[in-house]
Amino acid sequence: MSLDYELTLKIRRYDPDSERAWVQDYHLKAGRILRFVDLFRKINDEQDPTLAWSSSCEHGQCGTCGMKINGKPLLTCELLVEKAVEQFKTHIFTVEPLTIAPVIRDLVIDLERAYERVHRVKPYIIAPAPPHPDGDEYRIFPRVLEKYVEATRCINCFCCATACVTQKNYLGPNAMLANVVRLMDPRETADKERLDILYSEQGTPRCRTALACSFVCPKEIDIAHFIALAKEGHFSENASSA
Amino acid sequence: MKLAKKLKIDSVLRPDVLVVGAGGAGLRCAAAICNRRPGTRVVAVTKVHSPQKSHTSTAQGGMAAVDPRDPIDKVVYHMFDTWKGSDCSADQNIIKIVCESAWEQVVWLERHGMHFSRTEEGRIAKRPFGGHMLNFGEVKAFRSCYEADRTGKGIMDTVWGESLRHGVMFLNQSVATELLFRNGRCVGAIVFMEQNGKFVAVLAKATVMATGGKTRMYQVSTNCRQNTGDGLALTLQAGLPVMDVEAVQFHPTGIVGPGILASEALRGEGAILRNKDEEPFMERYAPTAKDLAPRDLVSRCILTEIREGRGCIHPDHKLPHVWLDLRHIPEHIHKTRIQEVCGFFCKFVGVEPQHELCPVTPTAHYQMGGAPTNEFGEVQKDPQRIVAGLYACGEFAAASLHGHNRLGTNSLLELITMGKVVGERVADYIEDAEDPGDIPQDAGSHVFSQFSGYLETEGQERYAEIRDALRVLMMDQVGVFRNEKGLMEAIEGLKELKDRARRMAPASKSLIMNLELIQFWELDHLLDISMVIAQSALARKESRGGHYREDYPERRSEFHYHTLACMTEYGKVTLDRRPIDMSLYEAKGEHYEKFGIIERKY
Repeated sequence: MSLDYELTLKIRRYDPDSERAWVQDYHLKAGRILRFVDLFRKINDEQDPTLAWSSSCEHGQCGTCGMKINGKPLLTCELLVEKAVEQFKTHIFTVEPLTIAPVIRDLVIDLERAYERVHRVKPYIIAPAPPHPDGDEYRIFPRVLEKYVEATRCINCFCCATACVTQKNYLGPNAMLANVVRLMDPRETADKERLDILYSEQGTPRCRTALACSFVCPKEIDIAHFIALAKEGHFSENASSA
Repeated sequence: MKLAKKLKIDSVLRPDVLVVGAGGAGLRCAAAICNRRPGTRVVAVTKVHSPQKSHTSTAQGGMAAVDPRDPIDKVVYHMFDTWKGSDCSADQNIIKIVCESAWEQVVWLERHGMHFSRTEEGRIAKRPFGGHMLNFGEVKAFRSCYEADRTGKGIMDTVWGESLRHGVMFLNQSVATELLFRNGRCVGAIVFMEQNGKFVAVLAKATVMATGGKTRMYQVSTNCRQNTGDGLALTLQAGLPVMDVEAVQFHPTGIVGPGILASEALRGEGAILRNKDEEPFMERYAPTAKDLAPRDLVSRCILTEIREGRGCIHPDHKLPHVWLDLRHIPEHIHKTRIQEVCGFFCKFVGVEPQHELCPVTPTAHYQMGGAPTNEFGEVQKDPQRIVAGLYACGEFAAASLHGHNRLGTNSLLELITMGKVVGERVADYIEDAEDPGDIPQDAGSHVFSQFSGYLETEGQERYAEIRDALRVLMMDQVGVFRNEKGLMEAIEGLKELKDRARRMAPASKSLIMNLELIQFWELDHLLDISMVIAQSALARKESRGGHYREDYPERRSEFHYHTLACMTEYGKVTLDRRPIDMSLYEAKGEHYEKFGIIERKY
């Protein structure tokens, strides 16, 4: 019942010991619902145990397995063979690591380098608002949460940052998003500090509204929308009470 | 030229505390240490690319917590549910600590920015979950606090943010390969950094192990690629015992292929399990509860159907399974309450649940056991003595909150409650603790010979074959159903696999980002822990919680204790016992009789 697809993966490789980079072709047969992470494992098991690649949860929740397939950044644990053939209209796929961090070996990159941009926006509450008089949780009404809850789904997979047309001197779409979330969060009072980051040289001025981020986001978050709010001047010092 | 001569400690770090594993528990602990003792230098080691990628971030369900001011729900009901759910094998002192501090810790998360789902009044919303009841089992309780269907992500993001705020230093894609001791006190560990192939000796006044779960030795598992039980292996290596490892929780409906969880909520909304003849077989096994019978029972029923030839084999993943039928469920429910999980079927199996049958099979999900600790998270070398300087929390530890069976929404709760308890204990300990001193003389002796072994072995054995054989063996013989014959065969089978594993030659001898090297190391851990699980399961001649013996299907009072197991030489497992804490029962306070030896009937 299962159709076996014959595929060619042209994988960009890099060996840090010899500092050599090259593209290596792998030919394999795979069932329709194997995911690309299953293909990499199959290559390790049957052809080349030295091919290095990253993954963790392998079901779209952690954001570790991001790569460029035929130029498009996506999560390789979510790309089924059948869907890939349908979407890209080919049986030949180029596989490259994301471009936002140095390559360590083959498809493995130093993600922590990319995370530095997220660290810069301080992904936590800098100055908490005074607690509720009852002593328990803050009260946040659903209609307030609704405005930014989609943005909290970001898993920092860096697909948006890879697709973004501005590659240099920019915080990047996901870091911008993380900052916007806390600006819209009523519990954060350090609005001035966050606005300074948002409108800094490496912030909104660098966004050219190409919408590539929203286009590629595996979580289907409309990242561009939140950055657009910033560019429209939606956020003032009383952002969270708007 | 022998590689062992080339392997050496390349650098030294001297923080106050070393945390191994930067998931929900590890980082909650780190945050608690820094809150209690500002300025403490903490180094956290994580196997994944960044702490946010830890397996905690994939947890969906929620955290059970009773507000002491709740007019309907009471902390004692939560404690009772946990005790009953554990099949009378959890430690009652731990149940008390966790349930009593639950609400406070949920509020801590909220105050530090977690995006909980809200009620119309803006308060933290709650929903019901299996096993959580009011009035000692009468009717379902709305006890679980949640962030949509990504509660684990919310917790992870929050504790990670707090760790960043406190200046915790992270070593990513790094693994602790050898614990270091001086005069019986743990003084740190040797950490191998995968990215550059270097070893760093981390010398710390206190070491906290929070390495999470281990179920990757099973063919179908919900666990991430990195959950290979490294922490348990390190514990065994140090001559220390592990506790209740035979208690593995199998979730009945894992999505075939990836093993991802298809939540119990589906059956709650009316989904029906069917065999290859499309018969709704649960009617036969549990005429009243049917598809909503307890998890371990449903898992056994599914596997019985498969064993008796009424299952199907998936053509792509070659896994046996049954079907979950959601076709009759109204469309609006598909689109609202079960949207995300239905999305999984679509995304990962290419199946449309509204019109097609969904393939499911029991999947290894959670480790109830782990490193035995007391109520402060201090790791024990035997029931009376602790190891100075060594702590454990989270899924890796067995304090034990869950005994032999875990209730849903209690594991996320454990991360933040015990994480905080252990963190504060560590902060107090390091206040007066002696400096760890210099690198111990023999530091590295174990890991250097181990790694050179991996890199220099010649042989024809293939890693993938041994790994797959292990996973099938464990699934079949040390899985949902266990019996004496199967377990003994498993033990022999494991010895053979361990032997074969000594003859795997790597294709590359590089130390830098060498996937194979790490895989060989992980395989050894899986083989080690599998042996301890098999032998512990063989010795426990009863059924309790997640441990089910076909030849001893009832719970037996003479097994009312925790299993302790040590193994320093492969195959030679020495067993011991730790008493189960019955302090709630013994206190003879209000409702004490609920905490005696009770039946586990729902």
